[in-house]
Amino acid sequence: MKELEEFLTGRIWLLNFTPFSKDLIDEYISGGLIAVSKGIGKDRVCARCLENSPQKIISFYCSKCEEACYYCRHCINMGRISSCTELITWKHPTQPPQKNHSFAWTGTLTNLQERASIKVSKSLEQNHSHLVYAVCGAGKTELLFVPIFKALQKGLRVCIAAPRTDVVLELSPRIKNAFPDTRIHTLYGGAPYEEGFADIVIATTHQLYRFQDAFDVMIIDEADAFPYSYDASLERAVIKAKKETAPVVYVSATPSERLLKKVPERSEIFRRFHGQDLPVPSFKPLWNYKKSLLKNKIPKKLADWVTDKIRKKEPFLLFLPTIELIDHSIALFQKLDPSIEAVHSQDPQRKEKVMKLRNGEVAGLLTSTILERGITIPNVQVAVVGADDRIFDASALIQIAGRAGRSSEQPGGDVVFFHNGIAREMDKARNRIISYNARSRS
Amino acid sequence: MKCLLCDSTIVYSPTWQGLLLRNREEPVCKKCKAEFAEIKEPRCGICGLPGSTLCTDCSYWETTEYRGCIDAGIGLYQYNEAMKTFLHRYKFLQDVELSRVFAEEVKRSLRKPRGVVVPIPMHASKLMERTFPQVDRLLDAAEINYRHFLIKSNSTQGTKTKKERMAVENLFAWNGEAVPKKILLIDDLYTTGTTLRQAAKTLKDAGAEEIRIWTLIRG
Repeated sequence: MKELEEFLTGRIWLLNFTPFSKDLIDEYISGGLIAVSKGIGKDRVCARCLENSPQKIISFYCSKCEEACYYCRHCINMGRISSCTELITWKHPTQPPQKNHSFAWTGTLTNLQERASIKVSKSLEQNHSHLVYAVCGAGKTELLFVPIFKALQKGLRVCIAAPRTDVVLELSPRIKNAFPDTRIHTLYGGAPYEEGFADIVIATTHQLYRFQDAFDVMIIDEADAFPYSYDASLERAVIKAKKETAPVVYVSATPSERLLKKVPERSEIFRRFHGQDLPVPSFKPLWNYKKSLLKNKIPKKLADWVTDKIRKKEPFLLFLPTIELIDHSIALFQKLDPSIEAVHSQDPQRKEKVMKLRNGEVAGLLTSTILERGITIPNVQVAVVGADDRIFDASALIQIAGRAGRSSEQPGGDVVFFHNGIAREMDKARNRIISYNARSRS
Repeated sequence: MKCLLCDSTIVYSPTWQGLLLRNREEPVCKKCKAEFAEIKEPRCGICGLPGSTLCTDCSYWETTEYRGCIDAGIGLYQYNEAMKTFLHRYKFLQDVELSRVFAEEVKRSLRKPRGVVVPIPMHASKLMERTFPQVDRLLDAAEINYRHFLIKSNSTQGTKTKKERMAVENLFAWNGEAVPKKILLIDDLYTTGTTLRQAAKTLKDAGAEEIRIWTLIRG
């Protein structure tokens, strides 16, 4: 059955949780086309997410097996993997037939984008990995279109992965518009089932757990947290999901030192597509801001900044270090303007609230770092309250500053770091932004 | 140590009590724990629902054939969003490790039970599917001794409407072992009370004289 093969090609899936009937799958298992493997083997490694730490691979007395089994707590939200669950893969994927892909993007690249685009294509032709090091607003996605199209024409399967669902949802329509005749799947937690074999898969890095030897070209967007020091399993997931020799294109505005060392082939863009400088953040002290907010008082300098933006009708984003502080302070800010809203990672209304800000229905948003990347709002003004907090590292601060001045109509924009003492990461972020501006002129 | 629920690192702040009593490490962080809502007085003396000392559901039950089946009872927590998420992850995602989340509270509450602790059993096929008996594991994590006197003989409650549940024939059978006079009947979640009443009735018919109920959650 073609549908089953299309679904399973490149995937590693829980036997008991497929969109197909058990009978059908059993038939293919006995026919030798589907391979079955243990969820957790003797090595105590989860075969789906490759987790191996004893804190996450837990032993328990299994009533089904009547003996001690192991289960994986790391990827449990995707359906539990244990020693007594079985995973299936399609044994011998057949080469998908040559399809007619088309390329419908009509925009033009700047010289810098063009140059980077050619370099990416060249790396991919040689099966080499590549790092696109480009500032926020440089037009990174567009420069990947031609390299992706070339790969598709060769019959290659392309994956574009990003760490956050927001970024995946933002990328998906742009990619679909550029390649209207290509089957594209968009995968994230809770995404609906999509039929057929996708030549392009756009997915959160978490969803890569469900793939194995699947992709000929892997693109990691927003790869600055990569290699994911805090979650080594995501890095392993990328390696597992691609074919062994497949090259990886890393895309980042703030690559880590390790990534810079790891990938020698590189293209750099330090100028935004509209040609203007990146807004440089200014530092303003806001002593004991936490204390005064908790005492239900907005520090004067901050209140002045917000009032100024409300008066000028400029949309603003106010970044705060903790959800607790956001929840506590939102009522205070709503006294300045009742339309101001709060968003954080657990907020189901997040997308709607960002839309409201874009449409001018709300004056501004109080937010956690969740909105630090991926969003574009014309003429947005940005302030970080407590920029010295540990949660704001240099990359986060650069990303946050990168929200401002993205449109060619309003390339400027205020970026203020309110602080309770200047932290090293703040200096690092500011110096990097200044150096990007300098390097883009040289 | 990482929080079992949110995976954040639990900051350990040493206290004299902790040092002297060698308290075990906390399984969840303070923030996650704070999202669960304990049931406080006044509450229904039978099912533990917050509000009056006898809720409308239980006063209805007392007009049926189940009158007097349950002599008294409590529920520890309310069925709020955090608790729904917890139970979903524990039972449906089969995260057995979460049996430890309330271990200290369960232990404190059941330290001196008034009667023999008897968990509500699972149906054999359901147990195969879930791979662990969720009520037994809650008690195991709290180091509470218990005995089984019941066998679950019928299908599950979860998908039925309230009316269907109240009308269904008895879900339990007695396993034939001599039943103690005083019993504390344990379940994870009290929803309509049908399960617990049928279990209690089965035990009373088998010779139990006083039955109290204890649930982790009063839904």
